[in-house]
Amino acid sequence: MRTRGTIIIRGIVQGVGFRPFVYAKAHEYGMRGTVKNLGSEVEIAAWGDRFREFLDAVSHGTPLSRIDSVDVFDLAGEPPDSFTILESGTGSRSGFIPADVATCDACLADITTPGSRYEGYWATSCVNCGPRYSIITAIPYDRERTSMDVFPMCSPCEREYTDPACRRHHAQTIACSICGPHLALLNPGGTPVPCADPIRDAAALLDAGKILAIRGIGGFHIACIEESAAELKRRLGRTEQPLAVMATLGVTERIADVSEEERAQLTSRERPIVVLRKRDPESHASISNLHTIGVMLPYTGLHHLLFAALARPLLIMTSANMPGYPMITDLAQASGRLAGQVDYILTHNRPIVNRCDDSVVRDGYIIRLSRGFAPRRAAIDLGPRGILGVGPELNANITIYQNGFAVTSPHVGNVRNPPTLAYLQETVENIGEIIGARYDTIVHDLHPRFLSTRYARELAEATGAQLLAVQHHRAHIAAATREECIGIAIDGVGYGDDGTIWGGEIFAGRVPDYDRVAHLEVVPMPGGDLATRFPERMLYGIMPTEEIRDLLASRGWPELELGVLEKQVEKRFNVADTSSTGRLLDAASALLGLCRERTYDGEPAVKLESAAYRGRAAAWDLAFTGRDGREVFSTRSLLAEAYRRMQAGERVVDIAASVQYNLARGVAAMAVRAAEERGIGRVALSGGVAYNHAIREAIRQEILAAGLEYVINPDYPLGDGCISYGQVVCGGSLGE
Amino acid sequence: MKVNLMHGAGGEVMGELLATITNLKHNNAGGIGLESLDDGAVIPLNGQNIVFTTDSHVVSPIFFPGGDIGRIAVCGTVNDLAVMGGRPIALSCGMIIPEGFDVADLERIVASMDEALGECGANLVTGDTKVLERSALDGIVINTAGIGVAETVVRDNGLIVGDTIITSGTLGDHGIAIMAHREGFDFGGQIRSDVSPLWTLIEDALAAGDIHAMKDPTRGGFANAINEMAHKSGTGIVIEEEHLPIRKNVRSAAGMLGIDPLEVANEGKVLMGVAPGDAEAVLAALRSHPYGRDAAIIGTVVEGKSVVMRTAIGGERFIEPPVGDPVPRVC
Ligand SMILES: [Fe+3]
Ligand SMILES: [Mg+2]
Ligand SMILES: [Zn+2]
Ligand SMILES: [Zn+2]
Repeated sequence: MRTRGTIIIRGIVQGVGFRPFVYAKAHEYGMRGTVKNLGSEVEIAAWGDRFREFLDAVSHGTPLSRIDSVDVFDLAGEPPDSFTILESGTGSRSGFIPADVATCDACLADITTPGSRYEGYWATSCVNCGPRYSIITAIPYDRERTSMDVFPMCSPCEREYTDPACRRHHAQTIACSICGPHLALLNPGGTPVPCADPIRDAAALLDAGKILAIRGIGGFHIACIEESAAELKRRLGRTEQPLAVMATLGVTERIADVSEEERAQLTSRERPIVVLRKRDPESHASISNLHTIGVMLPYTGLHHLLFAALARPLLIMTSANMPGYPMITDLAQASGRLAGQVDYILTHNRPIVNRCDDSVVRDGYIIRLSRGFAPRRAAIDLGPRGILGVGPELNANITIYQNGFAVTSPHVGNVRNPPTLAYLQETVENIGEIIGARYDTIVHDLHPRFLSTRYARELAEATGAQLLAVQHHRAHIAAATREECIGIAIDGVGYGDDGTIWGGEIFAGRVPDYDRVAHLEVVPMPGGDLATRFPERMLYGIMPTEEIRDLLASRGWPELELGVLEKQVEKRFNVADTSSTGRLLDAASALLGLCRERTYDGEPAVKLESAAYRGRAAAWDLAFTGRDGREVFSTRSLLAEAYRRMQAGERVVDIAASVQYNLARGVAAMAVRAAEERGIGRVALSGGVAYNHAIREAIRQEILAAGLEYVINPDYPLGDGCISYGQVVCGGSLGE
Repeated sequence: MKVNLMHGAGGEVMGELLATITNLKHNNAGGIGLESLDDGAVIPLNGQNIVFTTDSHVVSPIFFPGGDIGRIAVCGTVNDLAVMGGRPIALSCGMIIPEGFDVADLERIVASMDEALGECGANLVTGDTKVLERSALDGIVINTAGIGVAETVVRDNGLIVGDTIITSGTLGDHGIAIMAHREGFDFGGQIRSDVSPLWTLIEDALAAGDIHAMKDPTRGGFANAINEMAHKSGTGIVIEEEHLPIRKNVRSAAGMLGIDPLEVANEGKVLMGVAPGDAEAVLAALRSHPYGRDAAIIGTVVEGKSVVMRTAIGGERFIEPPVGDPVPRVC
């Protein structure tokens, strides 16, 4: 029977209350010895008769920890008199610190208990909750390596911090109203507004219809009540875009249908924005003109206190940024950039080290991998080399692989402008620094014009790393599975092997060798990206007929512009070719008159989906052709059928539903045929279009009906937030 | 590798071809040589700076609103001399004419060349003519070379942090005019090429202030030229979108086609980096010349290595050297 030993526990063991937990267990089992934090491992030296039980107990870890391995080594020497927590040392950095965590119930009770030391304190937290990633500058995770460094503990906080029996034993974020960060209510210019209680006053201002910038964990939100939604959208210049709201669970369930799983997500410690189906699709139209609404529950002490003081049931809470630019994290920027948009600023003085947007989840799939979920760490064996995936250009993040783990950053955004490119670089540097990364291989998208591609080239040149390009949709499939499969990538835009724009692709093979075996019909994009902004151009590109010309004319297209469009398509002047699924949905949305200009990401397609939600789909005849030995689904025929039915007076919502359904059938049919031809039993699905509930479900059913296995990876976004991970997976097989 | 059309379209792809073509050991006659890939070469001779350049012209169509191939052939060479600081003195002209070419057209072309020469005080003093079979050539090719003399040589790589960036006028006119005319687009009104010889304009500007760098934004347009200036100077540049002069009809036509007017050719414009204290004086000099009426201060030279545009709506974007064809990137 072992009565002494050194226990090494590796994994996410920092910032998760691991040492206090070990300390408590040592007391429980009468152990003597020490525990020490070594970066991403904890080293325990323990003496005692109940060593076995103690080992079992500590091997389970704390709620926030992730344990990769537990090893026991012999231990010599004499035991100390007691069990103590030692200062952190530096050690391996294979693990990682956990993401930010919503305020726990115990802390919430502290905040709301009259007479509690934490009563009404907005930044109350403990070992089980509070900010982590957003405040850390380096590991090991200790107070001096976080932005809490500037708030020395008062003596009651110090006592709790050092009391092994306390929930805040070694809680690095411990703070109270005496010693911790505090709130201030400011004018948009940054000057203080005299007030006794910033939260109470902010709540009153919100109730009165004012628009406030509110500094949260990973950045600023812009908040207002429902009645001010139109004004907010006007100020932001985003009149069509649905905005997320924050509400209590009770209010959420009145607004939307909430399934068991959705309730679990809403109340999880990650507290993402969950995209829910409204009970009445037409309700709350000033917030969202779709059949869905994004809702999150209060996740910080500040939010809880604000809601306690607020009369209205919900707040619109949208990230404070210009579309496509990083969320604002510091006060100087907020008071500079938000001057025309907000009436007041509710801020605090705890610096945000690492920006982190709210995560977004829909039907259990991650749309935006960020606060709470990220940095995401996955155990995966890609060999001994360090690999960096710099992601695509839109909805980008980065992934770093080393020593058996892939670490994916929070959402970075649209890497199309200098500030977001700088944020991408900063993310690579910060996370790379925290985990001590070095890159043998850097993987980028095949698109020659992506800024991330340029960045990858520069970084590879500077570091001597090997540079690899991976085609966008192959990265999608690699992110879905490493097994041999038929891969369906249904997506917006990705640069293809042949220089055309892909986005409705069927592959066959195993990472990284995916053959393109089938795709959607290749159609022109008149004016390139202009056709993405104005989906009616896409429509005319696909159906350059007199009827469509007349349709556009009847909608007010000037004759002159129609003439230019016509000639452009006829002469193929500044026209790109695409097999994109997103662009086909855009064209259908335009045909049905649902969207004429895209003012936010995916607008035409989500409006089509919202219309289809109200309609009933019918199976149409599908047309398939071939090109260069690959099967091609004729999207021209699909749109032509939709047009015929429109002319025949069929309901728009039914046509919308049928377009989606038959597109899904066409894509699935090609995948099933490819599976049968190649004797492959598994079909994987990825790409942003897979968020469309109706399309995803129809594809799934067709695949299952064919007796094939259906694979989707719910750990990463289906959209481009999985690309950096897929790049790294491909890089692991390609770069050898 | 075979040469393809992308290799002639300017931008990064053309750079690869240039590396092959300029792979010469004998490439510098003592001053600025081929290795600089500047607008022209400079040869110091008896205390004078002789500027020397050459250019071949194959524009289609050969006659277009605002000019023709003859005017371009003269202006292209004259302007390359002028942006080096060189007063154009003499030009040569080599014509390769396909069998069946209309002599009346030749007469028009030559008259137009003569007019452009007159505008800048240069002379065409020597020439060569070849006639080819129809099958060998589908249009006329005109090559001109020219010599000039520069009192002060101005490079394209002389930008200094703090310099003011000035354009001598509206951007994108020539490229959009040619496109419209060639493809038969009806934009509701005629768009005219800006093709003009710039020596007298530049002469006035040089007299008005300290110009650190100049370039004519021809092939690849403003986007290409401004990036080349920044890259060669080892600086960054910030451009204010709101200050960029672009004609309304050019903007609207480009907008209808999904083309960036900053990425198409100009044949009568010069970009300058000017000592900040002299910027207003240079601007005034430019504006008082008929070819510089729309001149504008459009940006500033900064530390860094990118050309960034502050957009009208308060954002920022990179101005990148164009590639030949559109490559959609919006997901
Ligand atoms: Fe994608
Ligand atoms: Mg030139
Ligand atoms: Zn807590
Ligand atoms: Zn305290």
